[in-house]
Amino acid sequence: MNVLRINGLTKRYGRITAVDELSLEVEQGMAYGILGPNGSGKTTTLGMVLDITHPDSGSFEWFEGQYGSDARRHVGALLETPNFYPYLNAVDNLGIVAHIKQVKAPRFDELLKLVNLYERRSSRFRTYSLGMKQRLAIASAMVGDPEVLIFDEPTNGLDPQGIAEIRNTLQRIAETGKTIIMASHILDEVEKVCSHVAIIKNGHLLASGTVGAIISDDFLVEVAAEDMPGLQAAFQTDSRIKKAELQEDGTLLLHLENETPAAAINEWAFSKGHTLSHLRIVKKSLEAEFLEITANQ
Amino acid sequence: MLYLLRLEWKKIRKLASFRLFSVCYLILLPAILLTGLRFDELPPPINSNEVFFMFPTVWQYLGYIGNWLCFFFFGFLSIVVVTTEHSYRTMRQNIITGLSRQQYFLSKFYLIVVVSLLAALYYALCGFTIGYLNTEAIYWHKVWQHADYIPRYFLMCFGYMAFGLFLGFMIRRTGIALFLYLAYIMFIELILRWGVHLQIAEHRSMHFYPMNAVEDLVSLPFMEMADEFTSKYGFSIYLQPLEASITVLVYSGLFLYLAYWRVTRSDL
Repeated sequence: MNVLRINGLTKRYGRITAVDELSLEVEQGMAYGILGPNGSGKTTTLGMVLDITHPDSGSFEWFEGQYGSDARRHVGALLETPNFYPYLNAVDNLGIVAHIKQVKAPRFDELLKLVNLYERRSSRFRTYSLGMKQRLAIASAMVGDPEVLIFDEPTNGLDPQGIAEIRNTLQRIAETGKTIIMASHILDEVEKVCSHVAIIKNGHLLASGTVGAIISDDFLVEVAAEDMPGLQAAFQTDSRIKKAELQEDGTLLLHLENETPAAAINEWAFSKGHTLSHLRIVKKSLEAEFLEITANQ
Repeated sequence: MLYLLRLEWKKIRKLASFRLFSVCYLILLPAILLTGLRFDELPPPINSNEVFFMFPTVWQYLGYIGNWLCFFFFGFLSIVVVTTEHSYRTMRQNIITGLSRQQYFLSKFYLIVVVSLLAALYYALCGFTIGYLNTEAIYWHKVWQHADYIPRYFLMCFGYMAFGLFLGFMIRRTGIALFLYLAYIMFIELILRWGVHLQIAEHRSMHFYPMNAVEDLVSLPFMEMADEFTSKYGFSIYLQPLEASITVLVYSGLFLYLAYWRVTRSDL
């Protein structure tokens, strides 16, 4: 099922266009990363699909429209900072979330244990450290077991230990097959948690696809020949190639440890009896692009 | 409606200013009137302190005290419940979690209706109790003579709170909204009415200002100055209760509509 479809979404603040004709699709079960430097329009985009920011044009649709305007009750989201009532404790704060989402039997203890806050469940939110606030926000997003979880810079401002804890929690959630949408400016974070990624800069979509194809450290080459299964088999057994996977468009994606000239790859294929009909170096371009845009912030 | 009211209750139940304001109101409303016990002899036209506690005048004196208390405590409360949700960014989070903007606005609207109702009920309870204990011969028609003060009291509290809600949604900052609330009611409107309107036109239209109408619903019980005013300008210093009620309803409707408009239009 299609979980979220964004179509030409645009938001302008005065003369600045924060999000420019952005379109993307998130399918059920994906861990979808939105990767871009600070100020690239990630939070604005999430704000629009969560109805707190009015788009200037474009549209979006949750769950193929099956819940109508009630869709947000099926989404657990954390945007920018954790926002809770500082004078209430963790359980009371989660109680408000459960009330809004109309969750009949919320399992707060379980959630609080998952994010390591069970011992402090009766302390007021204002006494929490930043890491604890962030963890409560994750628990809060999971109240009522929503179909989709949205995290915006979930490790922002945390110390290395906190970052590791949050990432582990997110990885565990992703492994359960739940749909996750995560915005981040950290390449490493998206790579660890997400299966799919969209890279945006200045509100434009630069690229989207599987994480493996877009931001792996490997050198990637796309090839095709008449006998695809034979080609795959030939390359899979080649020790110079880490992985050879068939893609949806019918081409074969080769993962190599080091940068290799196209001529060499062509020669390898020819020596195995395959004539390449297609050969394209995919890799470094996007990786380089992303490093460049993140270096410019 | 119960869904939204229960949500509001979860939010304000442990809010320090809500607890403080409620306790102050509950204690001060009867307590201030009872300080009248210490003044046995009073200057004319009041003469004796008995009128404070007897039917039917207890409604007027208790109502006048309540007017000040509602102005402070419940007016402040209606501002605080809106502006703190802005500063904590919990309004934004409520929407993200699943509330619609309309529901968010309605939850605040229901809250001020219920608080005003409870404030008026407490006023009625205090009025009956004090009146019952201090009136020697109780004639029911005397008891009920000014009982229309109870619905007027409700509308008075609602009027202050609707204005507070309006300022809260428009201004969003607790300090500035509270300051403007006090400044408008205590100075700005008075200057507009007496310093500007009356100088331009000596007409009773000078009374049809939102907060003056709210005050006139449960007005000052001392009539001396009022007579002086009437003989000087040829019209009463007060609005008739019905006029005041309609004026308050119209202005409150306008304030609430503008607040609603702001909630649904703005980015959070």
